[in-house]
Amino acid sequence: MSLIRPLAIRALTLVFVLFAVLLLLVITLGATGFSDRLLNAVVSEEVRGLRQSLSQTIRDPDELERTIEVRRQELVEFYDLDQSWVRRLPDTVFRVVKLDLGEARTLKSFDGSRRVSDIVLDRLPNTALLLTTSLVITAVIGLLVGPRLATRVGSKADRAVSYFSAVSFAMPTWWVGILLILIFAFKLNLLPSGGMYSTPPPADGFPRFLDLVKHAVLPVLTLVLVSVGPYIYGVRTLTMNVAQEDHVMLARAKGLPDSVVERRHILRVAAPPIVTGLILGLAGSLSGSILVETIFNWNGMGRLYFEAVSGSPDESVIVALTFVFTLLYVAARFILEVLYVFLDPRVRYT
Amino acid sequence: MSRREMLREFLATWPGRIGTFALAVLVVVSIVAIATFPTDFGKAKWSNPAVWADNPKSAPPAWSNIFTGNDQLRHEKLKAERPGKVEASDGLEVRSYVMPYSFPAHKPPKFLSVSIGGVTFHERPPTLSVHILRPDGSEAALNREAVRGPRDGESAPYSRFKDEPLRVALTSEPAAVDALREMYLDTYGADIRSSDLRQVMNRALFGKPSESKPGEIALLKGRYELIVKATLYDGRDSVDFSRFVVGGTTFGLMGTDGQGRDLAQGLIFGLPVALIIGIIAAVMTTLIGAGLGILGGYVGGKTDMVIQRFADIVNNVPLLPLLIFFVFIVGSHLYLILLFLVAFSWPGLTILLRSMVLQIRSGQLIESSIAMGASKWRIMYRHIFPQMAPFIISQLIFLVPAAILAEAGLSFLGLGDPSIPTWGQILENGFRTGAVYLGYWWWVIPPGVLIIITAVTFMLIALGLEPVVNPRLRKVR
Repeated sequence: MSLIRPLAIRALTLVFVLFAVLLLLVITLGATGFSDRLLNAVVSEEVRGLRQSLSQTIRDPDELERTIEVRRQELVEFYDLDQSWVRRLPDTVFRVVKLDLGEARTLKSFDGSRRVSDIVLDRLPNTALLLTTSLVITAVIGLLVGPRLATRVGSKADRAVSYFSAVSFAMPTWWVGILLILIFAFKLNLLPSGGMYSTPPPADGFPRFLDLVKHAVLPVLTLVLVSVGPYIYGVRTLTMNVAQEDHVMLARAKGLPDSVVERRHILRVAAPPIVTGLILGLAGSLSGSILVETIFNWNGMGRLYFEAVSGSPDESVIVALTFVFTLLYVAARFILEVLYVFLDPRVRYT
Repeated sequence: MSRREMLREFLATWPGRIGTFALAVLVVVSIVAIATFPTDFGKAKWSNPAVWADNPKSAPPAWSNIFTGNDQLRHEKLKAERPGKVEASDGLEVRSYVMPYSFPAHKPPKFLSVSIGGVTFHERPPTLSVHILRPDGSEAALNREAVRGPRDGESAPYSRFKDEPLRVALTSEPAAVDALREMYLDTYGADIRSSDLRQVMNRALFGKPSESKPGEIALLKGRYELIVKATLYDGRDSVDFSRFVVGGTTFGLMGTDGQGRDLAQGLIFGLPVALIIGIIAAVMTTLIGAGLGILGGYVGGKTDMVIQRFADIVNNVPLLPLLIFFVFIVGSHLYLILLFLVAFSWPGLTILLRSMVLQIRSGQLIESSIAMGASKWRIMYRHIFPQMAPFIISQLIFLVPAAILAEAGLSFLGLGDPSIPTWGQILENGFRTGAVYLGYWWWVIPPGVLIIITAVTFMLIALGLEPVVNPRLRKVR
């Protein structure tokens, strides 16, 4: 039962992290004047629209001005612009923490809803399809190849993977995407260059799914191509380090068969960091990849975040997304803490 | 292991050797680039459309003909700063700027233009005339320009076309059409209507009436001479330069982008920029990361806890979204981008180094130093830091490509510093204007390849350092 206390402490720390990130975000939004600028832009945009429609009905210029001024005051109050960000933004944060993501001011979901949760739910599956799929493919390849290389350190295959992984580290993923578009979409005309569906999209059902898969091939290939080398290399190095430890030598000295040594004495010990990477990766994959989604014109979470920051700036979406991303991370970390209790016996004794 | 042994161990590896060589090449090219390019290259030239006005837009490199097989005409700039011939007679001097041009006659040029820059005169304004001397001996005076005389209140010497050269598009200039029409009539007896000739000026200037197909113009291969004649009335008068541009569809070594910019220049200028970004960001990140890591690991206690918690938070927020967020809000100056890069990339090193320090601290060396009364700072500096130095250096080198890639990514999203062209920005420009979908490979492939070459150079050096840093690997070899 001594487990509950450390877990509770970790959980508290993680909640603290969540708040710290949101606090940092709010201070940045507020102190830089970004928040005020955004809201002012929204208000003046609405006032401009109003002036146009009202000038048709109200002829008297004085009365027009008065009506507009009243409406402007209403808007300012509605968006709490009369208050400083120090008061306004914490409200947003507390609302978001209560899982009410609020309404977007400029962005919309695909069927026109302004609710941020609708927008996020639109994008999340798209991102999962792209990023999570490629992570799973990468991890499967890495976990199959990595340990095998660890037993043949210095071999040709091992060196090839080291170099490939070094080159992958040096490759901008998005540029690889561009290159693949140039080759497969432009030169060979085999696959679509971007987007999620053909225009017009095929009817529902299997043909539609097939169309989606066809559009996903290039981005997934891009992501796997760039990440698989480093992943194999990472798994290989982790297992290699364990394989050189004394307890492995002892196990071999005892005459245990290689497969048992590998499974029980190497992989079992190397598992925690590998699982850590995998789970954090899975959680992170849901945040999307801004660059790859941009290249392939894919409506995922990364793209959404980018739009919310610089396309058509939308504060509530920024706050909500940051919360969602951090929450995903914090949740993943907590799952890990619990998993560690099973994976790493040492945790139980601290 | 002494420093010399480390160096030998490092250079014994192929990655180490290749990496060092490549780095030397990159550094030399950067130095040459810094020495030859003006510091305000970005503002004054790269983003100034007037500089690139004469260039073809989105033209592939001149050597691409070899691969594509279609014979495109090479874009040529012919420039003369000194007259080839000077004829002086009483009171006036005719200076001829002669530029030979050998025309391959595969394709007609898109256009022919002449620019004359920096005319200075003292008494009478000079007259300028433009001539073409063709392979078959025929000649035409295409244009004549009188330099504007002194204005009220202006005093000698008078300067004209100094900032902006006089530019005449000979393929559409009415005077040139008339001159060419006359020449066709005199030389070939071909009477072409001016309005018809105007449509085909680019062919007519470099061609003659076709013998097989009457009414059409065949291209005339051979050596042309394009001449600017300046008639000056004072010995002190001068003309800075004359330049002809034969508008082709391929350009130079690396081609041009959608605005006609010479990509070779942008690519070369991007190298020192990338190196500076990478190295500054890496050094600063290492200083902060290593400093905090060693401090936290050795001092321990509350200091350590605060540093670790903070590092933990920063380490786990995704880099790119935050960079985008801050750069978009605060502004995209290069120094700000560097600042944010450093602010979000130090924790990895801190966390790694702290755990290393914890190991070293419990060793006997430190124990005996403490016993001998060494101070905390002395121990950190003299005993802990040297043990980790090779590792820190290899981490520093790993950080260089990371910073270069991060900046490139940011630039690619349109958040780069607009006053300093980088490879990422060239790519962004290409992607935004659809170069990828139009297959303008010369625009999108070279910047990426350069990013990779630069990054791989540092990766190779880091890889070569691995046996120095990790003694386990030495046993393996």
